Amino acid sequence: MAVDLGKMADLLIAGKVEDVSGMVQEAIDEGMASQEILQSGLIAGMDVVGQRFKACEMFIPEVLRSAKAMSKGMEKLRPLLIESGATMAGTFVIGTVKGDLHDIGKNLVAMMFEGAGFKVVNLGIDLDTQVFVDAVKEHKPDLLGMSALLTTTMPKMGEVINALKEAGIRDQVKVMIGGAPVTEEFAKEIGADVYGANAGSSVDKAKEVLAA
Amino acid sequence: MPDMQPMNQTVQETPQFRVLTEDQIEQIYFAALDVLERVGSRVHHDEALELFRSSGEAVVGDDKRVRVPASLVERALKNYPRKITLKGRNGKRSVALQKDHVYFGTGSDLPFTYDRKTGERRRTTYKDVMDAGRIVDYLPNFDFFMSHGIVSDAPNPQTYDRHQFMAMLEGCTKPMVLTSVDGEGLEDLWKMACVFQGGEEEFRLSPMFVAYIEPISPLTNDITAVEKLLFAAEKGIPAMYTPCPSSGATAPATIAGMLVQSLAETLLAIALCHLKKPGMPLIMGGVTTVMDMRTTTYSYGAPEMSLASAANTDVSKWLNLIMFSTGGCSDSKCLDEQAAIESTISNLTAYLSGANLVHDVGYIDSGVNASLESLVMNDEIIGMVRQMGKGVRTDEEYLALKEIDEVGPGGEYVTHDHTYEHWREWFLPKLMDRSDWETWNNEGAKSMSDRVNEETQRILDTHEPLPIDDDARKALKEIIDAAEKRHSK
Repeated sequence: MAVDLGKMADLLIAGKVEDVSGMVQEAIDEGMASQEILQSGLIAGMDVVGQRFKACEMFIPEVLRSAKAMSKGMEKLRPLLIESGATMAGTFVIGTVKGDLHDIGKNLVAMMFEGAGFKVVNLGIDLDTQVFVDAVKEHKPDLLGMSALLTTTMPKMGEVINALKEAGIRDQVKVMIGGAPVTEEFAKEIGADVYGANAGSSVDKAKEVLAA
Repeated sequence: MPDMQPMNQTVQETPQFRVLTEDQIEQIYFAALDVLERVGSRVHHDEALELFRSSGEAVVGDDKRVRVPASLVERALKNYPRKITLKGRNGKRSVALQKDHVYFGTGSDLPFTYDRKTGERRRTTYKDVMDAGRIVDYLPNFDFFMSHGIVSDAPNPQTYDRHQFMAMLEGCTKPMVLTSVDGEGLEDLWKMACVFQGGEEEFRLSPMFVAYIEPISPLTNDITAVEKLLFAAEKGIPAMYTPCPSSGATAPATIAGMLVQSLAETLLAIALCHLKKPGMPLIMGGVTTVMDMRTTTYSYGAPEMSLASAANTDVSKWLNLIMFSTGGCSDSKCLDEQAAIESTISNLTAYLSGANLVHDVGYIDSGVNASLESLVMNDEIIGMVRQMGKGVRTDEEYLALKEIDEVGPGGEYVTHDHTYEHWREWFLPKLMDRSDWETWNNEGAKSMSDRVNEETQRILDTHEPLPIDDDARKALKEIIDAAEKRHSK
């Protein structure tokens, strides 16, 4: 009997991490197309999660559970998707700039991107500018995310962008910034491509910029 | 039904709130007994005077002044129920009046209404009362309904209360507190309620409404108030006898003095109802506030109102009586910052005090003007206030030592099962904005009052209460028509 992708989506919405992961494996074993599992199972579920989050019917703890289910499913699917040459959401490198030890906001954004099907490389906190530059060279991400919670560390984000220019790789990656004191205006000022006001809207905005 | 955990809980020993010490309560009580023995209270009702006269204990003067000894009051006090459960026309026994259970509801009979379309103040109509009912029916933090406005487009002022009740029934399925024109009016309202409750006997077990009755401070009982009270006693209709003294005008200018007089007014009713029929479900009340000394306004926003009401609730608990109190109201002429501040203070104080029925929620303009928006705003305030009542739990699951250990330094709780399981115990704002500036700005930079307005309109556009079936409607119409016929002569 074929794996029911509608049920997979429902389990993902309900945040059943192990069940979703198990079903993805089952579907793969049955020989179902990886692209179909991704679109009609995982992404279909996450689309509903996104809608419910916006409508205040689901909240961060539930969304993150669904995101985790998505991410676990993707672990199994990703090698097959690459093999089949399918287009994927992209790679996202994220970290907190030098001087800032605040972790949670950045991690929330990372989890949201995982939930949206991105391959996420979470660099950590308190990072030297060079770490970002090296990571862009190594992982060749579609999107680089930086966050700062302190006004004193905000300028570091501009430094990273300048360092990317100097290394000649600014054009290879879109840059997104966020954090409580950061504004749209500041993002423009330092030449970032995307401003993420909160974890939920960051994903939508990033998708728009990457699609453009 | 919203959270009904008792307030002033001692199980978890938090939170607790009290205004008077036990000694102070005793002082007020004995002083009130003294007032009844020395000063007495004037009763303009022949049957009541006869009941007192033939008691062999009370003394009735030529000026209709009744003086009552402590012995009669104390014997009477032992006979009142400590629990009354109200049932709405939706069939739910949703309001259990008992110690420290707190329920919120509207006030009644506001002559004016803030017109949402024109922005003007105008006379309240049948439809306004129905709309207020629909809003109360929808809002989860409102437990009971008083009419909010007075039906001024009824055919006859002597029968308006039947029409008002009909408007309330059309809009709202929750239990109610009703005002009535006189004893005959109360009888009709009671008959109308019995239509839904399967007769008099069922009504006695879980009544659908409480009769609102008030004396005239200081120490005066007019004929209609007493006839309502005696009818309620006879039929076992829950009733409150709620003094509305204004400190400095119709009561002493000190809170303690006002409480003494207010309690004496209540105790007279306690004695009278006992003589009529022991054990009727009588509820203690008191809208105890100050008269503003610049404007003579009877203040609905004064901190003294909240303080005196909470103290009065302390007295009611000591007497083992169910308490009718006040909150969520304002002197402000419109729904502004003043209304929000005053509503919040009185709601919180009434809740913490553990009063059972907290009424007048949504009053603006010192009990003159009705605002539907104020009901919607107060629903959010009460939601926050009720969250306070949950207190702080400190059992093993709540101390979370295991989780603190698991997460460790520098970790996060947001994806932890413990968070997933407990965060929904938090207050979930509906109207309070907690978004980031960008989101707020992009969504129209709305103020609280913008959001309150939109939500009010949304409820009015969408909420339809459980309809009244044709048989019941016919029975209600017959009662109302008969009243019209009697009064058209």
